[in-house]
Order: sequence, then C-alpha cells, then structure tokens
Amino acid sequence: MKLGKYAKLGAVVALSSLVLTACGSKDNDKTAGNVVNWDESGELPGMDLSKATDQISFTMLGNTMEGLYRIGKDSKVEPGLAKKTEVSKDGKVYTFTLRKGTKWSNGDKVTAQDFVYSWRRTVDPKTASQYAYFFNGIKNADKIIEGKLPVDQLGIKADGEDKLVVTLERPIPYFKLLMGFPVFFPQSKAAVDKFGDKYGTASKYMVYNGPFKLEGWTGTNLSWKLQKNDKYWDKKAVKLDAVNYKVNKSSTTAYNQYKSGELDASPLSNEQAKQLKNQKDFVEREGAAVAYLQFNQDSKDATMKAAMSNKKIRQAISMSINRKSLSKVIGSGARVPKGMVPDKLANLNGKDFVEMDPVVNGIKHDDKEAKKLWSEGLKEIGQKELTFSILGDDTDGSKKITETLQSQIESTLPGAHVTVQNVPFKTRLQRCDTGNFDTVISIWGADYADPISCLEIMESTNGQNAGHWANSEFDKYINLSRTVDANNPTKRWDDLVKAQKVLLDDQGVAPIYQQASAWVVNPKVKDLVYNAAGLNYNWKNAYIEK
Amino acid sequence: MEEKLKLDPASFEPLPKADDLDNEKIAAPSLTFLQDAWLRLKKNKGAVISLFILIVMFVVAFGSTFFISHDDLIRSAPQYANLPTKIPGIDINGLNGKLKVAGEWVDIYERNGVPSDVHFILGTDYLGRSLAQRIIYGTKISLIVAVAATFFDLLIGVTYGIVSGWKGGKVDTFMQRVIEVISSVPNLVIVVLMLLVLKPGMTSIICALAISSWTTMARMIRAETLSLKNQEYVLAARTLGESPHKIAWKHLVPNLSSIIIIQTMYTIPGAIFFEAFLSFIGIGISAPQTSLGVLLNDGQKSFQFLTYQMWYPAIVLCVLMISFNLLGDGLRDAFDPKTRR
Amino acid sequence: MRKYLLKRIFYMILTLFLVATLTFFLMKLMPGTPFTNQQKMTAEQIQIVNEQYGLNKPIWQQYLLYLAGMVHGDFGTSFQFSNQPVSYLIASRIGASAQLGVQAMIFGVFFGIIIGSVAAINRNTWIDTTATVLSIIGKSVPNFVLAVLLQYYIALKLGWLPVADWNGFVYTILPTIALGVGPLAETSRFVRTGMVDVLNSDYIELARAKGLSKFGIVYHHALRNSLIPLVTLIGPYTVALMTGSMVIENIFSIPGIGEQFVKSITTNDYPTIMGVTMLFSTGLVLVILLTDIIYGIIDPRIRLTGGSGE
Repeated sequence: MKLGKYAKLGAVVALSSLVLTACGSKDNDKTAGNVVNWDESGELPGMDLSKATDQISFTMLGNTMEGLYRIGKDSKVEPGLAKKTEVSKDGKVYTFTLRKGTKWSNGDKVTAQDFVYSWRRTVDPKTASQYAYFFNGIKNADKIIEGKLPVDQLGIKADGEDKLVVTLERPIPYFKLLMGFPVFFPQSKAAVDKFGDKYGTASKYMVYNGPFKLEGWTGTNLSWKLQKNDKYWDKKAVKLDAVNYKVNKSSTTAYNQYKSGELDASPLSNEQAKQLKNQKDFVEREGAAVAYLQFNQDSKDATMKAAMSNKKIRQAISMSINRKSLSKVIGSGARVPKGMVPDKLANLNGKDFVEMDPVVNGIKHDDKEAKKLWSEGLKEIGQKELTFSILGDDTDGSKKITETLQSQIESTLPGAHVTVQNVPFKTRLQRCDTGNFDTVISIWGADYADPISCLEIMESTNGQNAGHWANSEFDKYINLSRTVDANNPTKRWDDLVKAQKVLLDDQGVAPIYQQASAWVVNPKVKDLVYNAAGLNYNWKNAYIEK
Repeated sequence: MEEKLKLDPASFEPLPKADDLDNEKIAAPSLTFLQDAWLRLKKNKGAVISLFILIVMFVVAFGSTFFISHDDLIRSAPQYANLPTKIPGIDINGLNGKLKVAGEWVDIYERNGVPSDVHFILGTDYLGRSLAQRIIYGTKISLIVAVAATFFDLLIGVTYGIVSGWKGGKVDTFMQRVIEVISSVPNLVIVVLMLLVLKPGMTSIICALAISSWTTMARMIRAETLSLKNQEYVLAARTLGESPHKIAWKHLVPNLSSIIIIQTMYTIPGAIFFEAFLSFIGIGISAPQTSLGVLLNDGQKSFQFLTYQMWYPAIVLCVLMISFNLLGDGLRDAFDPKTRR
Repeated sequence: MRKYLLKRIFYMILTLFLVATLTFFLMKLMPGTPFTNQQKMTAEQIQIVNEQYGLNKPIWQQYLLYLAGMVHGDFGTSFQFSNQPVSYLIASRIGASAQLGVQAMIFGVFFGIIIGSVAAINRNTWIDTTATVLSIIGKSVPNFVLAVLLQYYIALKLGWLPVADWNGFVYTILPTIALGVGPLAETSRFVRTGMVDVLNSDYIELARAKGLSKFGIVYHHALRNSLIPLVTLIGPYTVALMTGSMVIENIFSIPGIGEQFVKSITTNDYPTIMGVTMLFSTGLVLVILLTDIIYGIIDPRIRLTGGSGE
C-alpha cells in the first residue's frame, strides 16, 4: 500500500513539475517594435577584441563598438569616431581628431588614450593576439610582437583627449579601411582592469561604444541580442531597436524557423539553395576567399620538380579543370572564380577589381589546348606520363572537390594519373610548410577589402607560397604598389592588376573556385550592409520596411 | 439401484504383444531443443515475417555486391539530380515522377527533360544517383556493422563470460570489476574517443562497438555458466578428466545457445542504431561511402522539399530495426521455457 | 551496508580515474593546438600561449596537473571560446540538458507505465496488440528521425508548437517527446511483461477472491510489484538520454551539453571533450550506484553484499 502512495506522489510531482516549468516560461520578446531575428551558425566565442579570431566575434564587435571609421556599403569607409583626419605628404603619419562627447555604455568618455591602450594591448605578446599581424606596417609593431621592443614603442600617440597620432613604417594605402576592422577599435582600460579575466566573456563584462549593446550573452549560450545603444553618438541613424541572434547548428532547423516566421534570415545548405534559388528572398553572398591549386616547384622529387616548374604542364592542368561543373558539384558554397582576387571584394571608384582587366588566362577551360600543352610539356621534361597527387582537406566538401578534379584531369590529359590525398586541416598546413606535396588545394580569405591581401601571399618570400613559385616581375609590381605608387590609388591598382596578370599568365597557381554562401532573407529587412571581407554585417542603418 | 456390471469375457484377453510397446511410444517425433524452439517460433507470425524480411534484406544487400560497384556509388549524373519516384505503369501521384511543388503536382522528369525510358524506382539524390542503389548499399554497410558487432559480442563476450564463470574465485572477481569499469563509461564516449584516435569510418565504429558492446553478453553468460558448472553432467565430464576446452565447447556452449541467440538479437539493432546515429551527427561513415545514417542525414537537409529522400531510408532503417526486435522477442519466447504454454 | 557502500565508492573512483587517465593520454596523441591562426603568430606569442595552457611542461607534469585540477572541478580552458573555463561551459549548459533529460524520463516512464498496465490488464485484446505494436515501433524508430519529423509536421506544418529554441515550457514539448519515446516504449513493454506475470500469481487470485475491484487489484498489488524491477532500467535510460541529447539538442537548438559535446569533437576542443567525458562518466557511475541502493531498499530480497557477484 505504501508504494501506492508513492506512486500517487510521483504522479503529482511529475505533473506539477511540468506545470511549474510551464508557468516559468518567458514570452518570446520578438513582437516589440523594430526587431530583427537573425540566424547564426555557431556560438559567439568571445568579445575581447584583442583575442577574437572568428567572423561571429568580429561581426558582434563591429556592431557594438566603434572605431575611427565604419565600413559601409561596398567596403566604403564611413565616418566613425574620427571627425577629421590629416595624412602627411609621405603617407606615413596620420593625425586623427576624435569626435567630442562620445561615451562608453558605462558613461565614461571615449578618449584617444583608449585607442593607445587597446592597440598596445593587442600587440603585446603576452596577450597572444592571433590578429596582431594586422599591425604590420605600423611603426615597431612587428618587433613588439616578437618581444624585441616594449609596447610603448608602438607608433601610436595620444595628443590630449581627442587627438591621435599614428606613425607608419611605410605608407599603407588601405589604412582607413583597416581602421574599420575591430582589432583597431578602442578599449576602455577601466573596463579591462575591472573585469580582469572575465573581460569579454559575457555581455555584462564589457563596455560598448557602438550603435548597439550586446545583451543576454552568457558566454556560452545560443542566443543573444544587439540592443540599441542610447549613448551612441549617432543614435539617430540607428533605426532598429534590437537584433535577436539565434544559433542553429542545423540548417534544416534554421530554415524551418525561417518558414515559421521565427527568423528573418536563414543560411541554406546546398540542397536548400538549389531548391530555392529562384525565389525572391534568395540571396547569394560572395565570400572573401578563393581556393586555388598550388604546384610544388621545389619538390624533393626531381621529376616532380621539373614537371611542376614547367609552365605548359601547369597550364594544361589548369585548363583541364571545368570550373563551372566543379562549382556545381560544390553547390551553393562556391562560384566560378574570376581570378586570384575574389569578386565583389574591392573596388576603386565603383569599379570592381575583377573588372579592371578581366582575367581570361589561367582560369579558362579548354580541353583541346590543354591536351596540346600537356604533350608539349611532357616532351620538354622528357616524360611519357606523369603521376601526381592532389592534397586536400578531409572534409566531405573537400573530398568532393579532389574527386572531381581527379576525374576531370584524368579524363582530359592522356597519361596523367592523379592520386587524391585527403588529410586533416592541420596536417595539410604542416605538409604545405614542409613541401611534402605535389599539388595542394589551398584557400585564402582576404583579411580586408583590398586586392593586396590576396596577392601578397604569392610573393616569393611569403610563407603562404608553399609551391615556391617565384617571379621577379610579380614581386616587382607588388613592391611598386607598396612603395612608389602607394599614395596614388589609380597607379597602385594598375600595379596590382598587372601583378595578378603575371601570376595567372604564368599559372603560378590555378584558382579553382570562390567561396560563397546562400541565404534566404526576409525582403523587408532593408539597408543591411554586407561585405565579404572584414566586417560581415553592419546593422547601423538597417530597418524593417513596414 | 445397483447397476449390474456387465463384463465381457473378451475384456480379460491380454492385448497383443505389439500394442503393448506402442503405449510407451511418444506420439510426436522426438525433438531437440532447437527443433522445439523452431516449432514455437513458427507459431509466432510476427517473428516469422520478420525473419523472412531479414533474409530478403540480407540477400538483396549482400547480393548487390555483384551489381553495385563502388564506382556506381560515386559517379554523379547531375542531369538526373533530385528526381522523385517513378515506377513505369503506375499512375499514382507520388509514384509517377510527379512531385508537389508549391501545391501543385509537377512532373519533374518532364520538367528536367529526362528521357522517357529513364526511371528511378526510389528517385535520385542530389547528385543524380539512384536512391534505391544507395539504400541497398547503405543497408549492406549497416548490416556489416551489425554482423561485425555480433561477431565481437560472441567472440569476446561469450569467451569472457565462460572463463569468468568457470574459473571463479579471484579471477572471476577481477574480471567482473573490469566489466563494471567498462560498462560505467557511456558507450558513446568510448566510440567518440575511438573515433578521435582512429579515422572516422567503418573500422573505428566496429572497433568501438567491439570494445563497448560485449559486456552485457559476458555478464549473462557468466551467470549461466555459474549455474551450469554445478550440473551433474558437467561434474561427470570433469571427473572423467575431460579438458576444460572440450567441456566448454561440448557442454556449456550448447546449453548457453539460447541466451547467446537472444542476446545477439538485441545487440544487432543496437549496433545498427549506433552506426546510423554516428553517421547522422557526422562522425561516422563519411562520403563517398554511404550508410543508412548518411542517407538520413543527407535526406533531412532537403526534407522540406524532397520528403522522399529521408522517408525511404528512414522506412528501411525502421523496418530493419522492427524486424530484429520482433525476431528477438519471438526467439526469447521460443527459447524461454517459462512462456511455454 | 556501510562497508558495501565504501567498497562501491572506491570502485567508482577507480573507474573515473581510469577514464580520466585514458582520455588524457588519448588526447595527447592527437594533433592540433589551441590556435586557429597559428601560422600568423610569432614564436614569442606561441610560447606565451603554451605557457598559459601549461603545454610546455613535460607530459607527466601536465598529467598530474590535469588530475589535480579535475579534483577541484577544473578542466582547463575551452579552445573554442576565448578565456572560458570548461567548468563554466559545462555549468552553464547542464541546466537545459538536465531539464530535458528529466522531463523525457518522467514522460517516458509515466506514460510507459500507463500504457504497459493497460495492455497487461487487457491482455490478448486489440488494446494489448496496439500497445505492443506501438511500443515496438517506438523502440525501432531512431529518435533523430522522429525529431526531424516532429519538427517538420507538428511545428512547421501544423504550427502547434515552436520549431526550435529554448524559451520556456512550450519549447520543451517536442524535444521531450522525441527523446522520451524510446524509454516510453521500453517501459511499457517491461511493465506489461512484469504485470502479466504478477496478475497470474496466487496472491492476485486471492485478492480477486476477496472481491477487490479490478482497478484496486492492479493499483494496490500488481503495479507495485511489477514496478520494482523498473529501477534497474534507470541506468540504461540515462545512457540513452545522454546519447540522444546530442542529436536532439542539435535539431532543436537547445543550449545543452550534448550538442556542445558534438561540436567539441568536430572542432578538436580537447579540454571540453575531456570535461564532458568525465561528466558523462561520473553521471552514469552515480546513477548506477543510486539505483543499486534504491533497489536494495525497496526490494529486501536483494542483499547488498558484493557488487554484482552471486
């Protein structure tokens, strides 16, 4: 009989616990005013801008913080905290006058000192910032990061509360663009000291000076909110009350939430993208990364070295790749590349870099020409056939790519035998570093919206140039852009266009696709700025059409 | 009142000698334990149907090896991508190449310009590969994983249980502690650790199952061995100086067979579920190989548009699991004397 | 009893120690570092980070530090989040998982008992057959398939419940069902079998002879005795719920520990993997111990002598 009572009790407890949790439920706060519900694919890892390493962190930082500039539509520089900027004739000294009366969310004034503090904190080797290399070019930055100079030798000085003087080692033509990237934003020393170890690990352990404040982020949870910041200097321009972020790791769930109206945007998987690409809320977003094939011209194997150093063989391999069908295989994650520099990454006076002198060589598909070059090339190196491997990552997507390349190359080039090696990401990097590959698929994402970010990696001295392709003409153009033509935008672009032409004419690498992503976005969300490089989303001026 | 007992003198005649023996005869043919179980199993309709389904699945899955090569699995035909079911001669919406697009039935085959003699019984996947072929291949992989798990279950579990129960004493205590330690680690954790060390794929799934799945079997076998050990016939064999190996093989294993068979029937669906689960969360079998878990994961990605791509593998997986469960229940009832009625 | 408990606890600690050791050395075999951007860092920076994570010390020292830290509930810093201790990550995520797990367990066991009892009472009728068929199906349909179907049909097509998220009770209903159907099926089969046995026994005959109502018999006698063995199922259920949480939390975007575990596997976040592994193992070991104790209390026939020995 006793258990009878227990059973009764158990049932009561069970039911009441259900009811209690029901009472404790909060209402979804999405109904109020101008609020957008946005999808994110992963957690927000951290808000310490000296330590952030990923796009989600940078996006949140970019919207909750304000630097000297903001990056607007088409990577245009828009005014931020800098009211006036003076550049010295040689382009090496920048004097910024800060806007008066801007405040942190705790009421403190934002001063030039905050910039100095922030920059020094980032380059301090003790901080171990993975983005400290961005400071390369600012006076003494490299030496400080290596621990050879103290942090106060960094080329940044505060002149009073609202004047900031930055000294560079060489002119950086895209310096203003860099200033829109969160790594260069100010930080409040008072906040960093106050929160100590916890600084930037939850929304309450931070102070903000941007258009929005971060709320509801516990450091590890799956939802947070960008709430309009009333202390922001340009708060009139901010039309949204809040942006609710929700993390969905499954794209099916995200899309279901979009369909049920719980989200205003959802990223799409390949399959979803294929089904939805004709709908009007379908949006394709270009990525800032291009994947390319590197040829090991410094292989330990003499035959391989000879083969990969042979221009005709490199060209034959590149021409046998049908990039259109390859990007179809990859799906919404890829589009046909327009060169080594991604499409929609950078423009000068409204003209996209890829349209300056459209590249044809080096990315075209021509089976006939490929066959011809292949047999000529083989003759030149005295071989009848050639077996080489393609090294790639071991992800499903990468496997598809290597397999497709394998079948395209083998079916086009007589006597070509391609083996495929799919290894973990870190192993691939290590094998690139040690030159233990024949050809490798590398992916490089532009750090900022300037073509140099994608081209300098092919300089003969650059560590990313795993194939050791060396071309003095290419190096010359890159160098010209940095020195003689640094302060002349038109000429500088001309240098970069030529550099890319040299690279692709000589087939130093073979670009194979440009990264992209497909979304469905509520068409009522207007004026949201998306840029491929640097800061992805800028919510400052976004609004919902009524 | 008295009833006169009429006795016929003939009643006192002795019966013929031959009939005498017949009385002692058992009418039904004498049956071994297994035959007996089989008879009882046959009465269980669900179990028989399940057995039949499973046999068909095994034959089709493994027989397909000769018809579906690895190349067929990775060869893509983009022009045939995402075609729904089309069975020639059947004109029911959903089975005739038509799919509901925005509320209307559209003939996808016609829209995509697929030649009229091309048809896929279960449709195609996103790369235009026949879903039927992939499901058969996936079933094969799932069954291989199941068979391998069973093999280790038998090899390790049965041996371990017999040794532990037979030796007794300190050895037994120690071996039981080992089992306790292994079974108090969630088997998923073991699998994950294995997958981290080995490369994700069939080998590591099988290895992980081999490590974690045999403990239940070992426990049951040990308990049964303990009681069998003291049976007269085993004692007799021992006294006669039979070697332990021979005793184990001749006396123990046959008597343990019912437990072994029943337990195996529960190991198999567990293993199949595990493989599907791991592949579904992306740490199991990976492309270009396929399994039911991989197909389910691929299918759920486009479930909003092409429901069949998840429904078909899901149905196959469920039928497989149901059949093993039903057969397991049937076998348990057949072998368990308690339910004999 | 006390001696038995002490012995059990000793073995528990031994188990956890073995798991910790094994995990640690397996993780040390793995390639990879805490950095996503190692190529772009200077040697000086890398050295400093290695010191921060204690990666510059010899392995055996790292091992001892790891064990010492673990005793204090310190599993190190997650590689995925900057500056976030694994212990905090687990603490902030465990609530949702626990709630989901407990709800699923209650849901499964509660309805399992009801369905199982009803089936047993109406043995060999269509009710029994339906219950049996349903429980076989419930046992055979993987929970991740069920979750996808529930989300699509119930939440999106019918619009009865939210698709995903974790914002109150209504958000927990679908994941609870998806996760709880397995235990429900198992419980109902178990209860049915147990109750059929009990209903055939002599004391039930006696109760019937005394003129007790059918409900009274079931409620007062049969249910009690057929429920006791259910306690032994709590251990396996816990394992099933832990496993299930990984995929259910992912599908319904629940901020729990299971989906985080999957993510740390795919992103090689070793400290988190180790932390969650230890958490799961500790949880299971405790549940097994507890069920053994409870079983000993409610069923005096079981003597608490030595482990699972005869």
